[in-house]
Amino acid sequence: MDWQTFIEEPAVIAAAVLALGLVVGYLVGRLNKELLTAAGVPDAVEGTPFERTAQSLGTSTVEIVARLSSWFIYGIAILTAIHIAQLLNTDAFWFRVTEFIPQVFVAVLVLILGFIIADKSELAVSEYLRGVKLPEISLLPRLIKYSVLYVTFIIALGQIGVHVLALLILLTVYAVGVVIVFTVAFKDFLVSSAAGIYLLLNQPYGIGDEVRIGDQSGIVQEVDLFVTKIENDSEEYIVPNRKVLDEGVVRNRE
Amino acid sequence: MDGLDDVFGDLFSSVDGVLLFSPSGSYYERFATIDDVDVIVVGTDNDVGADTFVELPLAFDDVSDRIKFGLEGAFEEGVIEDGDELACATRLFDNEIDTVSRVRASADDHTGIYDLFAKSRAEPDVIKAVLELAIELGKKGQKGKPVGALFVVGDAGKVMNKSRPLSYNPFEKSHVHVGDPIVNVMLKEFSRLDGAFVISDAGKIVSAYRYLEPSAEGVDIPKGLGARHMAGGAITRDTNAIAIVLSESDGLVRAFKGGEMILEVDPEAY
Repeated sequence: MDWQTFIEEPAVIAAAVLALGLVVGYLVGRLNKELLTAAGVPDAVEGTPFERTAQSLGTSTVEIVARLSSWFIYGIAILTAIHIAQLLNTDAFWFRVTEFIPQVFVAVLVLILGFIIADKSELAVSEYLRGVKLPEISLLPRLIKYSVLYVTFIIALGQIGVHVLALLILLTVYAVGVVIVFTVAFKDFLVSSAAGIYLLLNQPYGIGDEVRIGDQSGIVQEVDLFVTKIENDSEEYIVPNRKVLDEGVVRNRE
Repeated sequence: MDGLDDVFGDLFSSVDGVLLFSPSGSYYERFATIDDVDVIVVGTDNDVGADTFVELPLAFDDVSDRIKFGLEGAFEEGVIEDGDELACATRLFDNEIDTVSRVRASADDHTGIYDLFAKSRAEPDVIKAVLELAIELGKKGQKGKPVGALFVVGDAGKVMNKSRPLSYNPFEKSHVHVGDPIVNVMLKEFSRLDGAFVISDAGKIVSAYRYLEPSAEGVDIPKGLGARHMAGGAITRDTNAIAIVLSESDGLVRAFKGGEMILEVDPEAY
C-alpha cells in the first residue's frame, strides 16, 4: 500500500478531520475566552447568582461560554468524521442531528445569557429602589427577573423547535396587562411630563416670574418635568404641569 | 497595661453616648454588640447603614470643627441632650479611627452651622455642592488669580424679584444644575463676571450677573467686609435664601443666613 492510497482511506481522512476539529475547537475556545475577558464580561456578570453558582462549581461564566463553543466544534468534528468514515450509513438520521446541534448550542447560549441578564436587571432595579424602604417593593425586582427568564425560556424552546404558541399567548396577555396598568397608573405623570418638556424647552415662564395658574397665583420658584412650584406670601402651590397647559398661565406684569 | 486602662478609662467611663466619625463597617459592627451605650454615626455618607446618623456636609479636616459640627447636628436631630457626656471617636492622622475625645454637649454653643444645611429651603446636597465649589474656587482661583464670588442659594423666585440683571443672563433658557460635571468649570469661567449667581432650591442655576437690591438695614455682619458680603448678607435677611460668599481679598468662604454670618472656612484648610 503506497502513500497515495493510504491518504485516500476514509478512516485516515476522518481521523485528520477529527484532529483538526479538536485543535480548532480548542483554539476557538481560548479565543472566545480572551475576547470575552477583553470585552469586560467578567466585570459585567460579577455578583450575579449565575456567576456565583459557576464559581462554586470551580468555573466561571466566561469559561462556560468558551467551553460551550469548544464543545460545539468538537461535536461537529466528530459527526463529520463519523460521516466521512462511513461508520454508520443512516444518512437521514445524521442529517437531522447535524441540523439540530447548532440549535441546541444557540438555545444553551440564550439560556446562559438570559440568566445573566435576569440577575443583572434584578440587581440594578433593587439597587435603584434601595432608598425606598417598603417591604412590598422587593417584589418588583423579582418580577422583572422572572419576566426576563420567561422570555428567555420561550426563545430557547423556540430555538430547539418546541411549540411555544401557548406560552407566547400567555406572554402577550401579561405584557398587555402590564402596559394597561402602567398607562392607567402613570397617565397623569405621562401627560404632565409631556407638558413639562414643552415648559422646559420653551420656558414661557421662568423662575422669578409672577404668574397665575387657575386660581393659584404667586412667584415661580421651580419648574421641573412634572410640577411647577409657585409661592405667595403664605402658601406654596405644587401645580402639576398638566394643569398648566389645561388652564393656561397668566403672567402678571403689573 | 492595666494601669493605662485605669488612666485612659476616664475618657470613656460613664459616657451617655458615643459619636463615631466615619467608621469603617467592621469598626461599627464591634459597637453593635455593646448594649448600654448610644452609638451615633457621623459622616458624609451613611456607609455602615446605622440607624442614628448625623450627616456632615463636608469632611472637615479640622478635628474640632468636625466634632463641633457633629455635636450640633446630633442636637438638632434630638439624639443627644444638653449636658450629655459624649465620647467622640474620630480619625486624626490615619485613615481609620485613632482618637477619642470626651466632650460635654452644651446647647449654648449653638452656632447654626447645622441649620445652614439641614434647615434651609434649598436641598442639603445643593448647598453642599455650592460650598464645595466656592472652596475649590478659593483654593485655585481663576487661572491662578484670586477671585471673588457670590452664590445665593434657594428661594430663587424671591431673590430674582429683589435683584436686577447687570447684563444678559448667560444661563437664560439653559438647564444647568450645580453638581453636574461640567458646571464647575463653567461657573469658574463665569466667576469673573460681576454680580451674583442665583441658584434655585433644587440646584438649577437660574442666573448669573445679578445685581442684588435688598434693603441693607439691620444687617449684622462683621465690619471690614466689602460690598459683596454686605449684599450677600442682606439678601438672606430679606428672603429665605442663604448666601455663600468667596472673598476676593482674604480668600475665605463665608456663609450667611437670616442676615447673619454663620460659617467661615479657609479653603486652604481643605
